[in-house]
Amino acid sequence: MKAFFDWLESDLRGAGTARIALSLAVFFIAWQLLALMVTNTMIMAPPLAVFKSLWAEAQSGAMWKHAFATVGVVLISFPVAVVLGVLIGLALASSRLMTLTAGPLLTAMYSVPVVALAPIFVAWLGLGLASKFVIVVLVAIFPVIVSTEVALRSTEAHLIEAARSFNASRMQIFTTVTFPFAVPFIVGGVRVAWARALVGVVVAEFFGAFAGFGFAILAAGQTFDTPVLLGYVFVLGIMGLIGSVLLRALERGLAPWREELGQ
Amino acid sequence: MSVPILEVRGVSKTFRRAGQPSVEALSRIDMSVARGEFVSIVGASGSGKSTLVRIIDGLMPPSSGEVRVEGEHVTAPGPDRAVVFQQDSLLPWKSVMDNVMYGLRIAGVAYTEARGKAQHFIDLAGLTGFETHYPHQLSGGMRQRVNVARALAVGPKILLLDEPFAALDSQTREIMQTELLKIWNAEKKTVILITHQIEEAVFLSDRVVVFSARPGTVRASINIDLPRPRTLEMKRTVAFTAHVDRIWKLIEHEVRSAMGLSALP
Repeated sequence: MKAFFDWLESDLRGAGTARIALSLAVFFIAWQLLALMVTNTMIMAPPLAVFKSLWAEAQSGAMWKHAFATVGVVLISFPVAVVLGVLIGLALASSRLMTLTAGPLLTAMYSVPVVALAPIFVAWLGLGLASKFVIVVLVAIFPVIVSTEVALRSTEAHLIEAARSFNASRMQIFTTVTFPFAVPFIVGGVRVAWARALVGVVVAEFFGAFAGFGFAILAAGQTFDTPVLLGYVFVLGIMGLIGSVLLRALERGLAPWREELGQ
Repeated sequence: MSVPILEVRGVSKTFRRAGQPSVEALSRIDMSVARGEFVSIVGASGSGKSTLVRIIDGLMPPSSGEVRVEGEHVTAPGPDRAVVFQQDSLLPWKSVMDNVMYGLRIAGVAYTEARGKAQHFIDLAGLTGFETHYPHQLSGGMRQRVNVARALAVGPKILLLDEPFAALDSQTREIMQTELLKIWNAEKKTVILITHQIEEAVFLSDRVVVFSARPGTVRASINIDLPRPRTLEMKRTVAFTAHVDRIWKLIEHEVRSAMGLSALP
């Protein structure tokens, strides 16, 4: 048993997949048990019923319409959030005054539920892409800004000192030491941003849309179509999981030394 | 003999921080080092040894006084000096080869030329075959050898070693000491070694400079007249231990007070 746990904890090929498979299995068992206890189909549906209705949604084409809307919004807004977030983080870290003064404001804005502003943005920018774009960017950008800024400032001082002893210029120190040091941390921030972006797009769609997973979930909720509602939530969960796994792999690939240090 | 390669004249350093009492780290240090000389600086903690290395390298300015290398006033780091720090400050995302090439690439040396030079010092440091390894795949002793190779690769006239072996276990440390002597012999560099190990200082140096603590001042400068090449067996000779004892007596009082112990009766 101990050997199995050691293997599960390792970085070996297959161990990561096994971890995901195990947690999904536990999730489905818990879900099934819950569905056996709560038999009111208006408020609970077992996994099988959910997959049946998802299948029906896929065959009718409704799912593709929603996926096209939601994934489209995310694909346009998320890269913008990442690029802008890194740039703002760089600007903040490059100036001591900005670091010292912008810190409290950033922390406040990071913890404010920006999604609460969604109705205002929908009122300003309409039901189309623009309002969703702004909401997703605003929600996703903060983890990227904060991780970029913190990573650049937390570069180990002795690495910078060594570069300075070789007479490296400020620009050379940035390109050869602080930025490479920060990249894996930034990817970590992007991973957090991905989960927030998915929440952001769904909430944005709640407040006004013609299609999208958020729209479908709201519609299903209003007609007490619990299997469809849970089905789309499940799809969003899968999107979150895929993004997280890919970004985690990127993070590891970029900084193998951090794994070995056990961080 | 000849003109000293390094002159430290009246160097003092006081650290001032807002809201804290200022700390005098170094007070009027005078010191000169001849070309090709191996000089060690020993002293209790708080004697400002590492501060002096940073001032000689140009990483920080002295509060007063000046440092001259071949008569030139030091104001910034330059290619005539290179430092090996206590922490192996290698870039973890670069291979051994890329780390050793680092200083050369920063100085604008073309890739192929930098690679050739780096290979020479990788071989000299006994790291042949490890060029594509990353620092986290190496032992502490090997990482410090990469550090030494990286410092030598830029072709400095003066090699500044700031407690380079402090983090190593004692066996590795002894091996590294003899390796360092081998490299020093091959490269004919001027070496300034900061260490808190008196035995290490005596074993490696032509001269040991003893610092007092808080603030750091030069207490004594002791010529080590042991023959070269030095071997590990020499560490057990009477002449060797006599040097060690003499230096220890000079700093014992400060080491004890730094530890919070009372002076000897």
